[in-house]
Amino acid sequence: MPKLAPLTKLILTAAVSVWALLIPMLIGQIALVVGQLLLLGLYRPVGKHWKAVSGLALFAGLLVAIQYVFGSSLEFSLMSGFKMLVMSLVFVFMLATTRLQDLTAALVSQCRIPYEYAFMFTSALRFVPDFLEESKAVREAQACRGYVFHGNPVKRLMDYIAIVEPLVLRAISRSETMAMSLELRGFGHKGRRQFTADVALNRPDYAAMLFMLLLTIGLTIVR
Amino acid sequence: MPETLLNIQKLVFTYKNAEQTLAEVDFAVNVGEFVALVGRNGSGKTTLTRLAMSLIKPASGKITLQGKDTAAMTPADMARSIGYVFQNPDRQIFHDTVAKEVAYGPQQLGFAPEALNQSVAWALRMTGLTELADSFPRLLSRGQKQKVAIASAIAMQPKMLILDEPTSGQDPWDGHNLMELLNSLNQQGITIILVTHDMELIAKYATRVAVLDRGHKVFDGTPAELFSGSRDIAAWGLLPPTAVALSQQLADVNAQNAAELLKKVMLAIKERSDDYA
Repeated sequence: MPKLAPLTKLILTAAVSVWALLIPMLIGQIALVVGQLLLLGLYRPVGKHWKAVSGLALFAGLLVAIQYVFGSSLEFSLMSGFKMLVMSLVFVFMLATTRLQDLTAALVSQCRIPYEYAFMFTSALRFVPDFLEESKAVREAQACRGYVFHGNPVKRLMDYIAIVEPLVLRAISRSETMAMSLELRGFGHKGRRQFTADVALNRPDYAAMLFMLLLTIGLTIVR
Repeated sequence: MPETLLNIQKLVFTYKNAEQTLAEVDFAVNVGEFVALVGRNGSGKTTLTRLAMSLIKPASGKITLQGKDTAAMTPADMARSIGYVFQNPDRQIFHDTVAKEVAYGPQQLGFAPEALNQSVAWALRMTGLTELADSFPRLLSRGQKQKVAIASAIAMQPKMLILDEPTSGQDPWDGHNLMELLNSLNQQGITIILVTHDMELIAKYATRVAVLDRGHKVFDGTPAELFSGSRDIAAWGLLPPTAVALSQQLADVNAQNAAELLKKVMLAIKERSDDYA
């Protein structure tokens, strides 16, 4: 599988969302989901990425069920669920196959986004696994104090709420430490920055972009 | 014959995409022991304790707690007998007062109200936290937070405490107080497994030491045997306590020769400083 540049994947992310909005048929949405899963599979993702896909699929299923229960038609409910899945799966693909520092470099040097905003975006993405790891540590600590992670869902939810506060406090504390660390290493420096990441576009990127452009134009005309 | 509390037999564990972390480790802990588990970073110490607590499951091997196989047990089951204190106290504190935090474990284990109150009061008293019962745990010092974590563990009335580097990041005075507390708990019959890098603490408090090196148990005996000088403990990433290093340097000195003694002492201190540098 050719290695695509981060910029291509960013454009793909936007393009897939546009396709999801342009395609009016359920079969088209299903094709987009299958296509993304195949694309993800070609990059040999690790278990946690498949877990993320499963989580999104579950969430999409819930969305379908809620829409259907509250009076929407089955086809409309399925369309909503699949659209959500299409638009979110592409982020899993991008995050699973792109290093965050490459993404920052692409946003700054190619998309001309100010470094501070690009860094904020990628840092926010980095907080998700950190948050999950912290959550796991607290749950392990709870288990060592006799808490059993099954049973009444309401009780489990209430117990989980109890750990949200320390998690948020720790996240704030960590972000403060990180901010200080960044300032101490010249984060606020004005002027040109040097990135070590190679984010230059190559032939496969141009081919992929041409494909995305043609498909978008085609779908717009058909629509 | 001492009663075996925790028995680990031929334990094998490997993390995903990593070399074997533990290779057929045998490790038994008897009632009332104060065992130090040592070794360089990545030697498998924390992994072994996490396996003992059922936080992770082994690839093969057997762990028994008071003769019962723990294969099907959860950490919550193990918590009835073993109190586990993590290295970072911040990760195990999630209530807004010290008293609520300490009471969490006994509540989960279904203690009767009177027993629960007694247990919490005892744990707070043992750790010197009675005055801080209504304090917000996050605003306490690192040493006090570690005491909260220990109080939370002992409030469940465990037979054994496992502590993962409890003195790391603490000032010497807090570290000393903590070790005195553990010693006191051990005197009251609680078996202790202490994961540590601090050889001074081992020499002073442990009744037994197990050394792990690259996933293998390479030593199991008393601190005196470990520091006797007959083993190359540096190869396991360990340094002898200062007193031991000095005594080894001075072993062949004729005490009547004061000048030579002084020279040897100075040399030993310098080498010790170099070791730490």
